[in-house]
Amino acid sequence: MPGGARSAGGAQGKNEGHVHNRIPMLRAERGVSRRDLATALGVHYQTIGYLERGEYSPSLHLALRIAAYFEVPVEVIFSLEPFPRIGSTS
Amino acid sequence: MTHEERPTRPTRRTKAQAKKEKRQQVLERETERLMSGRYSRQRPRRVLAVVGLSFLGLLWVDAAVSWILAPSNTAMITNFVVLGILLVIGLPLAGQLVAVTRGMTFKDESELDEWELTGRSRAFTTAHRCTTIMMILVLLVTTAVDRDGEASQIPGAALFLILFALLITHFLLPLVVATWQIPDPPAEEDEFMDADTVDAR
Repeated sequence: MPGGARSAGGAQGKNEGHVHNRIPMLRAERGVSRRDLATALGVHYQTIGYLERGEYSPSLHLALRIAAYFEVPVEVIFSLEPFPRIGSTS
Repeated sequence: MTHEERPTRPTRRTKAQAKKEKRQQVLERETERLMSGRYSRQRPRRVLAVVGLSFLGLLWVDAAVSWILAPSNTAMITNFVVLGILLVIGLPLAGQLVAVTRGMTFKDESELDEWELTGRSRAFTTAHRCTTIMMILVLLVTTAVDRDGEASQIPGAALFLILFALLITHFLLPLVVATWQIPDPPAEEDEFMDADTVDAR
């Protein structure tokens, strides 16, 4: 996962480099505020907001730490493909 | 009294650290206030960045005036007026720019998270390109004009002001660029979103 949300090759497509995530869902499910999560990860709470909005793709280190915080495998939280909507058959 | 029981006196280092933490808390509060209010949208932030850039431009105007008019009273008065404006309005403006950018261009790397480091890196890259172009322009212009050696046409005061403007631009342009580039802060309404709130949606 690149450190920035910007794709190095701009001509390679709009979604190139974009990483989808389920942080808001997990956070809501566990009742964790952005500030709590940010404090646990040692980042600014707005950084969590930018991650959730998909404006920033975390480094591998941060992604693994987020996964460790929620005690789930990293692929449960992050994906290169959009996550299926809850209730959808796919 | 044993060594362990002795009360520890605050050293100069711990005092400095406490002072630094206090400064950061103030900055954090100011950032929260500005980013949740006036500068929560891109347009006002960009206006602020343009105003900051104009103030940097004022330094170059001052240098140009000195170049054309120095040595003269007009040049000296212009110089003092510009420096006065920069001190009275420019310093609080710089404070606002620092608050809006969370001080990302001034803090130590260790104090920034990876999103802030990425933002800072982008701002420094853009600002570095701009200052490189400016330095090339300054070099070309001064070389083109200053051909006569000791009978130079560039007044010493103007040369000093050009270097001063270059230094301040080099120092503050990343701050202006960071203000221009920083995205909107995440919405406050889902700041403390809990499971009940989401279930209700």
